Amino acid sequence: MTITAPHGITGPRSDLDVFLDSELLDPWAGYRQLRDLGPVAFLDRYDMYAATRYDAVTHVLRTPEVFVSSEGVMMNDEMNQVLRGNTLCSDGAAHDASRSVIVKPLTPKALRPLQESIQVEASTLVDRLVERGRIDAATELAQHLPVAIVSNLVGLPEEGRERMLVWASEMFNCFGPMNDRTINSFAVLGEMMEYATTQAVPGKLKPGSWAEAIFDAADRGDVERDKCPVMMIDYMGPSLDTTIFAIGNAVWYFAKHPDQWDLVREDPKLIPSAINEVLRLEAPIQAFSRYVAVDHEYEGVIMPAGSRVITYYGAGNRDERHYPEPDRFDVRRNPTDHLGFGAGPHACVGMNLARMEMRALFESLVPVVKRFELHSEQRALHNVLRGFTSLDVTLHV
Amino acid sequence: MPQITYIVDGASTTVDADGSSVMHTALRHDIAGIVAECGGNAMCATCHVYVENGPLAALPAISVAEEEMLECTLSPRAENSRLSCQLPVAPTIDGLVVRVAAEQA
Ligand code: HEM
Ligand code: FES
Repeated sequence: MTITAPHGITGPRSDLDVFLDSELLDPWAGYRQLRDLGPVAFLDRYDMYAATRYDAVTHVLRTPEVFVSSEGVMMNDEMNQVLRGNTLCSDGAAHDASRSVIVKPLTPKALRPLQESIQVEASTLVDRLVERGRIDAATELAQHLPVAIVSNLVGLPEEGRERMLVWASEMFNCFGPMNDRTINSFAVLGEMMEYATTQAVPGKLKPGSWAEAIFDAADRGDVERDKCPVMMIDYMGPSLDTTIFAIGNAVWYFAKHPDQWDLVREDPKLIPSAINEVLRLEAPIQAFSRYVAVDHEYEGVIMPAGSRVITYYGAGNRDERHYPEPDRFDVRRNPTDHLGFGAGPHACVGMNLARMEMRALFESLVPVVKRFELHSEQRALHNVLRGFTSLDVTLHV
Repeated sequence: MPQITYIVDGASTTVDADGSSVMHTALRHDIAGIVAECGGNAMCATCHVYVENGPLAALPAISVAEEEMLECTLSPRAENSRLSCQLPVAPTIDGLVVRVAAEQA
């Protein structure tokens, strides 16, 4: 299923280089240009369509019979082979089967008993960091909960865990087209797949952990045994960087918009709304893709079978056709329908946990931190993820 | 346009089904009690309704994902429990009557 230009492209086209460093660091004008071209536009440099309007992204994500995931949701052929058969890259009955296993510990009901320990962990962390005053929010504040809580619950062997953050980030780089970033990250990806295959195995996994439950499901015959390693990636890949970047993005926005932080401090019930607003403005995953299984017409544009569509969650979230003043940060907006977690059958299965971690953290920050003062920042230059590698901030109390 | 009736705390409101789903229509008409925290992705169980009347046969079967989440509702699950985000609006659902679950989140 190589990515090549299908014959007879009709509809709008663009030669915008969406993976240029400058575009990745500041994609908003480019997204707007693509949205204004049409419901979807063909990217001549990458031989893929780009869906950037809110309605178009939603349509693609919610029409899985046409826009399938089992041919991979990445933007290069090699990576689309690697994760074949995990939850992310499957459809229909196979997807139902593996998603039912993966979702078990992540439902609202399953997570309720964890809430308290996550809150305690969050407030201990905040107390410690507030005492220090000046911190790197992208690492010291944002990484702790995902790493401490998720790694433990997933239950992978201790040895190798410290590599998890590097693996997760490099894995996501491999979701991009075959550019230098992707090629450089492939080496590290091999290390992660090796670990998933040889270390994340029964006997080495923590008893009662989520990872072990995948093997239990295979023993019951609910999923195929040889799918277990790629299903490990369902937990190892998307559970860390995404949440970490989301937390950093929120701190950055609050530092830039102290008035909005004040609103949240006055009314902490706004925290869930503010979290949605940050995920809308800065989707930690900007884009995945879908393979077009049958010829499909959408708003007058025919996408031929065999083509591929990049689904820009990040661009749909800034569509002025859907959100008034889309670039404005408004903690009262509560955009529950944002695409930061995707939509449809593949919508993020970890969203309840991610929300719980973020909520606990900001609920701990609200009573003590009056203002975030940003001294400097370093953005991650990444094919699909959006966030910061460093955020030098002072927590004013 | 099809119409949907929502019962909230014993009071009925009938509206034009102008949203994409029974959940989405409720949000558009500010029907109290539908939280829809996950935005209609069968992940939060905060759009729980009891289907009381109307064209029951026109409703889609409960999917694997909906089934999983129906186990997580705060108000008790009943025979007629559904997640309103999983009930798409179509001409065939005209006359649907749903009671909004009291406890959502
Ligand atoms: C703020 C944090 C997070 C963000 C922004 C995020 C974003 C996303 C997005 C956009 C998708 C949709 C993929 C698609 O359309 O193909 C997705 C799927 C997924 N996410 Fe998350 N995610 C987050 C946290 C998590 C966590 C904490 C976990 C696990 C514990 C997780 C596990 C998954 C899995 C397994 C899928 C695949 C679901 C499927 O294909 O059915 N995510 N996520
Ligand atoms: S809106 Fe979340 S399950 Fe229906």
